[in-house]
Amino acid sequence: MTQVNPPEIESPDKWEAQMRKGCLEMAVLASLWHGRLYGLEILRVLERDSSLVLAEGTIYPILNRLRAEGLVQSQWVEAEAGHPRKYYELTQSGRDRATRMAETWTQFSAALGSLIEPVLKDRKVEQPL
Amino acid sequence: MTPEIQVNDYLARLRASLTGMTVAEREDIVEEIHMHIRERSSDSRTSVETVLAGLGPADDLAQQYRTGLLVQQARTSLSPVVILRAALRWAATGVEGFIVFVIALIGYMMGVSFLLLALIKPFFPRNTGLWVGPDQFNFSFRLGATMTNPASPVHEVLGWWLIPVCLVVGSLSLALTTKLLQFLMGRFHWKVPFASTAQARSAMMAL
Repeated sequence: MTQVNPPEIESPDKWEAQMRKGCLEMAVLASLWHGRLYGLEILRVLERDSSLVLAEGTIYPILNRLRAEGLVQSQWVEAEAGHPRKYYELTQSGRDRATRMAETWTQFSAALGSLIEPVLKDRKVEQPL
Repeated sequence: MTPEIQVNDYLARLRASLTGMTVAEREDIVEEIHMHIRERSSDSRTSVETVLAGLGPADDLAQQYRTGLLVQQARTSLSPVVILRAALRWAATGVEGFIVFVIALIGYMMGVSFLLLALIKPFFPRNTGLWVGPDQFNFSFRLGATMTNPASPVHEVLGWWLIPVCLVVGSLSLALTTKLLQFLMGRFHWKVPFASTAQARSAMMAL
């Protein structure tokens, strides 16, 4: 008798990593919405407010790319700690992009929410008390 | 090795790997990473080794910068050299990039070949042309004059019209390949290393 192997299913971890990666640019732009931050602060905000935790060195090439695209601008500022910090802030183009991304995300999330609501509802019923 | 030597060594490797950018851009990046290391290791609970491990190997970090800038340039540049370099870098990341690189190579080679045919036609008029025969239809440069023999079933049909035809087709090939590659560069997937949840939490607690 021939044994049929089930099709390979992408692991939830991989799917989640892809989803997080897709949101990263929006999250970085949103972290700068209230004002300028330097790299380490952006890492902290992402971790605190969105559970997006990047490998530490990754944030700097991303910020460099966003700067090259004209979405953020940077400035070295002498800090009280005695060494300068490179602060990033949104340009007008960056604010526009962040706004568009946030609107798209909200609409998409709301639309998908109604679709997946029964999945979560049924799961609650199935789970033993 | 003292912490200071470790940091200097890391920054020297980073500086050496940051190619393809101006000195000012490179020093700006090195300075920012230096300040990150300084600030993170100013906490007595965090060793320099931990901070450098968090940043990852200097070569990998430099490559993220280089790839980012190259793909960014390729999205707006009209230079086939810049676009081909970006496609080559993308090709190193997986199958999708490899396919894009092959498309770029074929498109540009076709464009350059047509332009070359237009250029060499005045110098080798009998050997350059569009050859048509019972089983043949091709633009080419042929050594020798055997194909132009009136007795041969294969003969050249364009004559001097070959020059404008090849100039137009070659230019169109280059332009369309460039536009297609710029579009595809927009689909470039960034390799973003996320820390694993457990590692991440412990790392961020130390920040």
